[in-house]
Amino acid sequence: MSAVFERNALPAMQTSHCHTPLNNYSPQELAIEIKAFISGVDQTQGRKLSVRDHARCAVRLLRTVPACRGAVLEHLRGVYDEYVAAFLQDLEAECENGGNSTSGGGSTSVSNLEDVIKEVHAVISEFIKLSPKAWAPLVSTWAVDLLGQLSSKHAGRRAAPHSSSLNEQLQLWMSCAATRSLMECYSRCLAAMLAWCPDACVDALLDTSVQHSPHFDWVVAHIGSAFPGTIISRVLACGLKDFYAHGYSSAEKINQQQAIDKSSRVPKIGSVVGILGHLASRHSDSIKKELLRMFQDSLSPPPQNVPPHSSGTGGWENSPHLRRATVPFLLQLAALSPTLLGAVSAELVEYLRPPILIQLQAQFKAFPREDLENMLGLAVHLISQSPSGGARVLKFLADTATPSSVIISGPTPSPHDSIRDACDRLLQMLLLHLHKLVHNRPKGDEPFPQSSDDTAMPQVIPFLEELQGHIGDLCAETLRLERKRHLWLHQLLCLLSVYGGPSVATEALCQLFTKARNPEELALASQLYTPLSTSLSGLLSSTISRCVAQIHTQTFDNKELAQLLNNLATVVQSQEEDRKNGVAATGSSAQSSMAAQVRVAVSSHLQDFCSLLLHGDAMVSKVAVYLLSCSQLPRACSSAHLLLICRAAVSHFFVCLRQQEEGLRVGEEEVGYSMRLLSHLAAYSPLTLKAVLQQLVEGALHRGNRDLFGGLQENAGDDTTQSSNLVPDLGISLLDINCKFGTSVNFSGSVWSVFHAGVIGKGLKPPYSPSQPDPDRVTQNMQTLFAVMVQCCTSGGASPTGNARNGSAGDTGNGRFAVSEPFVSDELPPVNAEAAKVIAVTLVENICPDVANGELSWPPEEHAKTTVERDIHIRRCFEINPVLFHLLRVVAAGRPALCYCSVILRGLLSTLLAHWEASREPSVLDSPWHLQTSCLLVSCMGEGQLLPPVLSNIHEVFPHLSPFEVRLLLLGVWEYMRGNSPMPQKFTFCADRGLFFRDFSRDGDVARYIAPIHSVLHKNMDHLGHLCWRFQI
Amino acid sequence: MSKITSFPSTAEMSDIRHALLRRDPLSAAKEVLYHLDISLGSALQSSTGPTPGLEKSTVELVEEFIFHVPKDRNIQPKRMSCVQELQLLEIMCSYFQEQSKDAIRQIIFSALFSLQGNKADESRMAMLGKLVSMAIAVCRVPILECAATWLQRTHSAWCVRLARVLMDDYCTLVPCAISTLQNICSASPRFCCQLLTAVTALYDFSSDELTPPPALLEMLVGWITEDPRLLLLTFINTPLNSSLPLGCLEITPLLGLLRWCVKAPLAYQRGRKSALTNGHGESEKGTAYEELYSKLHLSVLQVFLMLQVHLTEQNLIGRLAVLPVESVATLVEEVSRLCEKLTPFPAANHIQLALDRLAQALQVAMATGALLCAREDLRTLCSRLPHNNLLQLVMSGPVVQPPPHSGPFQPNMYPHIHPGRPSTLSPHSPHPVLSPHPTHPALSPHRPLTAHAAHPSLSPHAFHPAAMAFPYRPIR
Repeated sequence: MSAVFERNALPAMQTSHCHTPLNNYSPQELAIEIKAFISGVDQTQGRKLSVRDHARCAVRLLRTVPACRGAVLEHLRGVYDEYVAAFLQDLEAECENGGNSTSGGGSTSVSNLEDVIKEVHAVISEFIKLSPKAWAPLVSTWAVDLLGQLSSKHAGRRAAPHSSSLNEQLQLWMSCAATRSLMECYSRCLAAMLAWCPDACVDALLDTSVQHSPHFDWVVAHIGSAFPGTIISRVLACGLKDFYAHGYSSAEKINQQQAIDKSSRVPKIGSVVGILGHLASRHSDSIKKELLRMFQDSLSPPPQNVPPHSSGTGGWENSPHLRRATVPFLLQLAALSPTLLGAVSAELVEYLRPPILIQLQAQFKAFPREDLENMLGLAVHLISQSPSGGARVLKFLADTATPSSVIISGPTPSPHDSIRDACDRLLQMLLLHLHKLVHNRPKGDEPFPQSSDDTAMPQVIPFLEELQGHIGDLCAETLRLERKRHLWLHQLLCLLSVYGGPSVATEALCQLFTKARNPEELALASQLYTPLSTSLSGLLSSTISRCVAQIHTQTFDNKELAQLLNNLATVVQSQEEDRKNGVAATGSSAQSSMAAQVRVAVSSHLQDFCSLLLHGDAMVSKVAVYLLSCSQLPRACSSAHLLLICRAAVSHFFVCLRQQEEGLRVGEEEVGYSMRLLSHLAAYSPLTLKAVLQQLVEGALHRGNRDLFGGLQENAGDDTTQSSNLVPDLGISLLDINCKFGTSVNFSGSVWSVFHAGVIGKGLKPPYSPSQPDPDRVTQNMQTLFAVMVQCCTSGGASPTGNARNGSAGDTGNGRFAVSEPFVSDELPPVNAEAAKVIAVTLVENICPDVANGELSWPPEEHAKTTVERDIHIRRCFEINPVLFHLLRVVAAGRPALCYCSVILRGLLSTLLAHWEASREPSVLDSPWHLQTSCLLVSCMGEGQLLPPVLSNIHEVFPHLSPFEVRLLLLGVWEYMRGNSPMPQKFTFCADRGLFFRDFSRDGDVARYIAPIHSVLHKNMDHLGHLCWRFQI
Repeated sequence: MSKITSFPSTAEMSDIRHALLRRDPLSAAKEVLYHLDISLGSALQSSTGPTPGLEKSTVELVEEFIFHVPKDRNIQPKRMSCVQELQLLEIMCSYFQEQSKDAIRQIIFSALFSLQGNKADESRMAMLGKLVSMAIAVCRVPILECAATWLQRTHSAWCVRLARVLMDDYCTLVPCAISTLQNICSASPRFCCQLLTAVTALYDFSSDELTPPPALLEMLVGWITEDPRLLLLTFINTPLNSSLPLGCLEITPLLGLLRWCVKAPLAYQRGRKSALTNGHGESEKGTAYEELYSKLHLSVLQVFLMLQVHLTEQNLIGRLAVLPVESVATLVEEVSRLCEKLTPFPAANHIQLALDRLAQALQVAMATGALLCAREDLRTLCSRLPHNNLLQLVMSGPVVQPPPHSGPFQPNMYPHIHPGRPSTLSPHSPHPVLSPHPTHPALSPHRPLTAHAAHPSLSPHAFHPAAMAFPYRPIR
């Protein structure tokens, strides 16, 4: 002790190291200051310190006497509190006075304290800046505690917004200088502390938030948005603990309605939701990550060797109870906040892999039954409310709930049976829940649901909303017809359709129609339609319209398109069959009702389907013709559409023949359909009949189709150009060839030299070699064509013969021709005269190049010299189109139509006459084509009753005559024709046979024209005797 | 111990307790203080014994109402608010200031703050920290004196804690408060000396946290250069026969300061190394303090010389190891470890500097009799250190002729080296080498000295210097 007194003699040391002027207080001054601070009384003057001076004094102490800091900070709490009170009072006064007058006292006290608060803030921030490690823990605890105290103390004030409106709270408190200053201090501390010990800091925050629960949320929210990563996980952990403490069995009672008003019974989860909801706007990713991590952590086995507080999230993972409460907690959280639900729902499913499910199941075993039921209900509710990821959820549920089987074994091992049952149950409940939701919507029981669909949806079901975008997938899944799965999905589709109204329903049906591959799958469509038909009318027609629209926009690929058409056709066909079998009459089964509707709908869109007949894909065109052939033309159809359909149908017919020609087996059936379609068309109306026939004839004569019917290709210009392209340039000189020929061949006398045609530089024109089509094929084509034409021409008999034809087309390829043979000769329905006239007129138009001398009556034979060129043209036509004769025969069958072909007959006859006159061959057999033509011509005219029976028999003797005699006979024919003009008026309709007949007795004497025949017969009596009976009048 | 008549009986005590429980915590605490003052004061006056003990019940009262240790589980004591606590501190300050009697002051201080090894110790320490901190701020010399005594008698771990609190307060928390602390030196040098010892024990350079803050270093160097005797204050003022408690602070801060001087270059170099590996380029701060450390080193060396004077005056040369060999061994150990850590790094200059300082200090300490150590022992001790010329010299030393007994100081000699084997050198078996803290079994002699442990330990003061026949060369 003595040393101390010795030391007093030592000179005092300098104290001038410090830079701050505030610091040079002597100890005595400081002692006085402390006294003043404690007593609140100015020690020198003895009067009471004002709040402001007291606070100043405190700040001075804070700067100078370290030991006082606890007390100073405690004192400052009061200052802040006072400021906040004054601030709120001002606000309230302002509210009352309409913001006009300023309450004098309040505002001065606010402004008075404001600079003190600024001063305090400055000092504290300076301290934090200078030595964060020392001050940050201290200040952070203080600031957070004070914030909590302030916000809960003043929560009841009028000016303070309700605790539920987080944003308003945030706004209010951040506008208050005191709380803002505290907030800033805290943020600074946290920023400084995050580097080395974030836990303590955040834990203090959360402890306070627990203590002042709803009122403190704004602080956490604000801090959270500044430090999202740290805060979110802790907020969650904190909420979980509280949730567990409250006992999650009570969670059942909180459904959505109660969640809206955050009752005091569940204070914490409300706060958690509020805070996270606030953060979600900007940090939803972190929140999502945290929530998922929480879920995972709760399931993964507890960390063994981790000390309790080492983990960052407050160590909840270590408590088995908390871990078990996690899933219910998360469910509850999601139920309370759509935002959080939206954040998690999409991705949670990804985590539900079999191992996780097994853990989950193990965890749930411990729950009482009641809780499980509640959770199930909650889960169902959540799924139905989840705005995104619904499709994945559904897929997961369906996948998991689908019974494991040997057949369907995916890459993942099939989960536990009980898990599957649980999922099954969940799915069932979900469907039930959705069913209730959908059907209990207001206005749902209105008799006319369309009207309710016009108005806004009364209640939105997010799950269904989202699934509306996945209808295609759902349909595809459903169509796989996996055992239970398609039932669920089908049910869901049904709900979706009811929920979404016509647009969804049509899309679903459209998808089903497009994707069904067989009748079983197609049956799903009708199963879907049946329940919907009661609530949505006109569904099928809009479905078909939609399909058509998609066809037009070329949404489908060929396969889908073909599938769609085929399905439609199948439906239509089934209805037709039903009708035929009389099923439809007895019971209005679902199938048939839909079929009838589809039939009607399809028939109203035939013009849209007809363009598909000429689709490039063979499959599509085939099913298109199938569809068209079995559907009915609508009652009232505009002629433009009809013509369009006709044109397409005929073009398709020829395409079919061509395909058959090329050996594609699809042709067989297709031709049948095509024929059926054409006959339907022809039977529909005179207009269509005319159009069909006309186009058939034109098509048959068309250069491109000529070879189908054994026609010769004209060796016209296109041939040479074609060959010039094909033949390589050989460098042969045309001139050389011509010279060579010229010298070698000696044309003595008349013509001096012959030049060979060719292209200069390319040698001779290649010899024309007509491609000889397969005669069998030609015959077959010809038969088909005639079958069609005859079917078309025999009015009214379309459907029975068409069907008979279809049936026969099925068994053998050649059977068809057997059928067609009796057709022409003695078929029941006679060829319609009108139809035949159409053919005739078309023929004339196509064959006869000009209309000069085109009248029906025949001129004298000499006048034929004026029309030589035309006649030659006509003959050439017949030469290259053998089919013409057959057409003529059809025309002839439909008396009196042949009259209209007068000009053709005349032209042909005149060329024949010229030929036979010029012919020097001993036998007519030497010019076979002319002989055949002559025979056909005469027989045809006889068939058409242009010639009387005796005269028409003369072709029988032609093969046995000399050319001159043939000419004589033909000349007789001409004479007859000149004498008895082929006029339609000369024919009379015979009602009992349904045919026109010509009464030759009314014409002049035939005998005059028979004389040359008889003389020829006489001349050749030796070998024509057996035919004489044919020429007796 | 319960012979103090003025103390109330147990029954009375419980009455008092119940009365106090009803009051607010501050006034209850005040009441307890008052009670303590009255009873101890009267006890001191009445009793003739050395120190009146405290009754258990009084201690309990203090613990319950001042340090707020819950006594029963069901009654949670009302804690004081910080402002109330400040009031209490202020009251204590004034009380100790105004208490004129040193003895009573001491007794009450130790009644309040000497550690009991129970759970009240934590709050006791907290309160003591605040009290001392406040006393520094308002310059309450009596309290500081009491605190100096407390620092002398308490286990070093607690002292370090107190030092830590004060350093936090004055060096890190309040940026400019260090000047306040600086002024204390003139007011209470004894406290400052103890504080120095505690601070050197606190900052041992083992991490960045435990590197003395620059402001502190500057202040300490200021203190020491102003008056180097400060370092020896406690040593000089402590009666040699006073028994110091187990594990208390060293009696001088010399070893601690020496540790600072030696380790500082290495530690700063280590800091620079880690900074470099971390990619930061800032590390010029180390060089700025080099000067301070060399000043400090110089002061330490000077103080050794002063110590020699004192030891000679007291005739203690060679009988009192001011620097315990074991502590020096620990220091050498640490230095060699630090050097090893640094070796891959080009730090030869710093290592040499540290070793130079160590060698100088060892040399001077041995020469001045502060360190009692044989040269062989020194060799084994320093064998693991990297090579250093000076150290080598110090270890080998010049050839020593046995000098004449008690000659005057001869600076060119290395006189006081302890004989390696006293039995061979001297027939006198009572060996003068003694531990300065005979009560301290933890400070068992270093291995080379085990030979002496067989000798009966004698109090250095019971020893006549003339009886020594003698390998020492007392300097002057």
